[in-house]
Amino acid sequence: MLRAMLRGLLSHKLRLLLSALAVVLGTMFMSAAFVAGDTMAKGFEQLFATVNENLDVQVTARNDAPESEQGSEIVTAFVDRATADRLENVPGVADATPHVSTDGARVVGKNGKVVASNGPPRFGIGWVEGDPLIQLRDGEAPDAPDEIAINAGLAKTTGYRVGDLVDVITLQPRRTFRLAGIFGYPGGRDSLGGETTVAFPMATAQQLMLGAPGKYTNVDVQADPGVSDVDLKRRVQAEVGPGYVVKTREETARDQASDVQGFITVLKGGLTGFALVGLFTGAFLIFNTFSMLVAQRTRELALYRSFGAGRWQVNRAVLAESVLFGLVASTVGLILGIGVGWLLRKLLESFANTSLPVTGVVVRPYVVVITLLVGTLFTVLAALIPALRASRVAPIAAMRDAATPDRPLGRLTAIGAVVFAVGVLLLGLKLTGTTKGALWPMLGGGAALAFLGVAMLAPAISRPVTGLFGRLFGRSMPGRLGTRNTGRNPRRTAVTAAALMIGVTLATGAGVFAASAKSGISDVFANDLNAQLIVGVDFATGGTGGFLPSKVDQMKAVPGVETAMALQGDNVLLGDRNAFVSATDLAAARVIFEMEPEGGELRPLSTGELVVDEDTARTRGWQVGDTVPMRTARGGDYTERVVGIYRKNNVVSGALVSPADAATFRTPYAQQGFVKVADDGQVGAVEARLDNLFADNPEVTVSDQSALIAQSSRFLDVVLTILNVLLGLTILVAVLGVINTLLLSIFERTREIGLVRAIGMSRTQLGRMITVESILISVFGVLLGIVAGVALGIAIVQAVGGEFLHLTIPWWYLAVTFALAFVAGVLAAILPAIRAARLNVLEAIAYE
Amino acid sequence: MTANGTAARADQIWKVYGTGEAQVAALRGVSVTFARSMYTAIMGPSGSGKSTLMHCLAGLDTVDAGTVWVGDTKVTGLGDAGLTQLRRDRIGFIFQQYNLLPTLSAEENITLPLAIAGRKPDPEWYATVIGTVGLEDRLHHRPSELSGGQQQRVACARALVSRPEVIFADEPTGNLDSRSGNEVLTFLRDSVRRFGQTIVMVTHDPNAASYADRVVFLVDGQIVDELASPTAAAVLDQMKRLDTHA
Repeated sequence: MLRAMLRGLLSHKLRLLLSALAVVLGTMFMSAAFVAGDTMAKGFEQLFATVNENLDVQVTARNDAPESEQGSEIVTAFVDRATADRLENVPGVADATPHVSTDGARVVGKNGKVVASNGPPRFGIGWVEGDPLIQLRDGEAPDAPDEIAINAGLAKTTGYRVGDLVDVITLQPRRTFRLAGIFGYPGGRDSLGGETTVAFPMATAQQLMLGAPGKYTNVDVQADPGVSDVDLKRRVQAEVGPGYVVKTREETARDQASDVQGFITVLKGGLTGFALVGLFTGAFLIFNTFSMLVAQRTRELALYRSFGAGRWQVNRAVLAESVLFGLVASTVGLILGIGVGWLLRKLLESFANTSLPVTGVVVRPYVVVITLLVGTLFTVLAALIPALRASRVAPIAAMRDAATPDRPLGRLTAIGAVVFAVGVLLLGLKLTGTTKGALWPMLGGGAALAFLGVAMLAPAISRPVTGLFGRLFGRSMPGRLGTRNTGRNPRRTAVTAAALMIGVTLATGAGVFAASAKSGISDVFANDLNAQLIVGVDFATGGTGGFLPSKVDQMKAVPGVETAMALQGDNVLLGDRNAFVSATDLAAARVIFEMEPEGGELRPLSTGELVVDEDTARTRGWQVGDTVPMRTARGGDYTERVVGIYRKNNVVSGALVSPADAATFRTPYAQQGFVKVADDGQVGAVEARLDNLFADNPEVTVSDQSALIAQSSRFLDVVLTILNVLLGLTILVAVLGVINTLLLSIFERTREIGLVRAIGMSRTQLGRMITVESILISVFGVLLGIVAGVALGIAIVQAVGGEFLHLTIPWWYLAVTFALAFVAGVLAAILPAIRAARLNVLEAIAYE
Repeated sequence: MTANGTAARADQIWKVYGTGEAQVAALRGVSVTFARSMYTAIMGPSGSGKSTLMHCLAGLDTVDAGTVWVGDTKVTGLGDAGLTQLRRDRIGFIFQQYNLLPTLSAEENITLPLAIAGRKPDPEWYATVIGTVGLEDRLHHRPSELSGGQQQRVACARALVSRPEVIFADEPTGNLDSRSGNEVLTFLRDSVRRFGQTIVMVTHDPNAASYADRVVFLVDGQIVDELASPTAAAVLDQMKRLDTHA
């Protein structure tokens, strides 16, 4: 029986192909994410194995100061020579070599700009003669204080050659060096993982990179033969004591990889999320296909039943079909996904400017299992209801005309309302933070239920809505017929449209959020910031740059400037927890940030004094006059007394301290400067003068507020674009669904098409009729999506709240989305219209 | 014969299906002329080629040799666009299966050919047609709410409303009980008598043929005989004779 049914299944090739494509796309995305992630993880593992080849145990100084998001690779606690020397004498130690290696050496390229980093650190190291990791390729080792060597990757991107003069920014401002040598790494690599490295003579490195002559960042220890890493670690730890962290090679590699692992996890998670949304969309398509197949085969199924096949047998046969279908589609998706994973890896490698030491791709068994399982599961779940319906076919149906009347929608609508309510409740609870518990399962589950609910509610409203939009197409006969046809099978129209709704809802929700964030940001800057010009670090140059706060005096002296300030921020240990603290001149900040005292006073701060915003003061329980200990990254310990509490303010928050207390921050640079110009008409002239002032610093740019707003908008736009591209997959699947539905409609209405052709409808008119149906389904889906998406966006904006979100509906974005529905409708109609036009009139009209 | 008096004409037409051994000729050099304002029935046993003849005359099927004319237009050799326009403007169809569009009301079905052509019905003529088929109170019903006879009357009205040069009817009473069938046949005959409509009807029912002005007999793809002003008995008689010959 199964074989007979499979033959029936295969007779609808094109329709099956479209549905299969939906599963293929979803599983492809998923396996590609896994494969790319695993391959990169393996690559980095091997990379760090190379880096650590020559050490068995690494010693660094313990640092209790908190880490910072930016410049996390900057080492701020040091080891001295004596420690290394002591280690030489520990039994089991063959060799102990002190090194300097830390983030923050920024090379200025030939174009005068700082060489950008897309994430990997920009190391400055001390040259160690005989270091097996560093292999000199050209020139010689840097000997003199004004000489450097750089890695070959950096030399290639900048075009610098031995003998060139190269500017480097370190803890100290821009300084010019002579390029003495170019080096590579074992295995002929130009770069390890996309990082750049500048090697100075050791003493220079200590001064420029650490600001601590005679200090080192780490000691690499090699074991005597026969001494295990773990053994060696214990002996070394015993020698150096608790002030130092001792790690085995394995532990070191794991720590080095943790940043990368975090990125890979996010990548895998994000792409898998989109793949699941794609599969969820595909499930609607599969549901439609199987419903149609069952409906078309009612006679056939009834025949089996009248031969004595049990309900369960029919049910099982349809489910078996779906399992087979899901397996085949998932397998194709898996195979394609492995290829796409390879492409994705190449893409990421070129983005990070590196190539990983692993050939081909890594396909772990779990990827195969999960991909096939998930792909098949979605298919079977989608086919479940059609399978049940198939089993309810009565044997008598074999003798009757196959056409079943429209079932009433009342019960479906009621169930839909309940499902929708449950989904919205789940989402609401999570968004408002009323309940704790798993974030993503609740959000994902809530959204999925809400979508299903809307899909069930949609049939009830599909006819009026499509009828209304049908009027757009005037009173022409093709338009009218297309509109009527759309309303003919509300369930099918609704399911098809609902699939389209999913992607559109998410895209619209994101659009509302982004628009709200944009307008929030610009409102805050425009209303609350009393400065016309902003000196900022260009994001592209990385997080470690800035300008020396002492520059503020020169900024204030620029003609036309009323006042100016700098913000030098860092993560510190404040009291018992990690806090972001900014150092600034409070006299200027009071004016520029329009700060108002809530308690105490807001006067220029001396060392050991801080002011804080009212919210932070309340949560920390601080009063004016309280003292709190502060420990900075470079080991400064301060006792800060709260001298003032300022009112909640949109542009500044947290603790502010005296510039004197920032001397031991991670970097000596201020990240932001604000300039208030006395006369608004002078802003352009002052901007030019400030540009001049910062001419030798390629890491900062002077801009007006609009440039800053544009910069933050640009970031949001990039995020939104990436999101939309990924959601495009979902929408593509849904458009396949529209094609599928149209093909079925044409198949079902073969005789009608034959008739209208016989009585004089031209192929063009026929194509228009199908296009109208296609557009109406698409418009209905997109409309549902826009309404749901705006609701979702509003809900998220309200739930997140805050001054930087001003609820804004992006009408343009919505209009473009709506217009795209028309385009999608027209495109989806092409194939079905061609099919319909090719029908032979005579055969079509005689079609049973 | 002048073009003025001819509604449709076939000249030595051949229609062959299949190739080689399996070749079957459905029409073998058929020449026939249908005069204006005449009700002609094409009769013949199953497989005689009568439906094929009608399809070729109506531009629904192509001929392998010979020429088909509708009025003074040469149908043979027209492309899809030309054939579509011909069917739209100059030909009406009535099918055995009614073939109404289920989404349209009776009224919308009737005016469908005009709507496709982008024309408005002539209100006087429209009222006449509706009155003749007796559907005044059924115009806003959907086909599923009409009986078979009513549906076929809607189909007849649809064929008539655009005043085509010729209506081709393919077994119009095949699916109807005898009373409904007679109603439809009477109506078709009246439209010829009263309005000068030209009708070509394919049937195998002698009673249906007896409503026609003229009956053409087709056997094995060739015209073998014809009767003018036939009675049911005469047609039946003739059919029996042809059957024994075959």
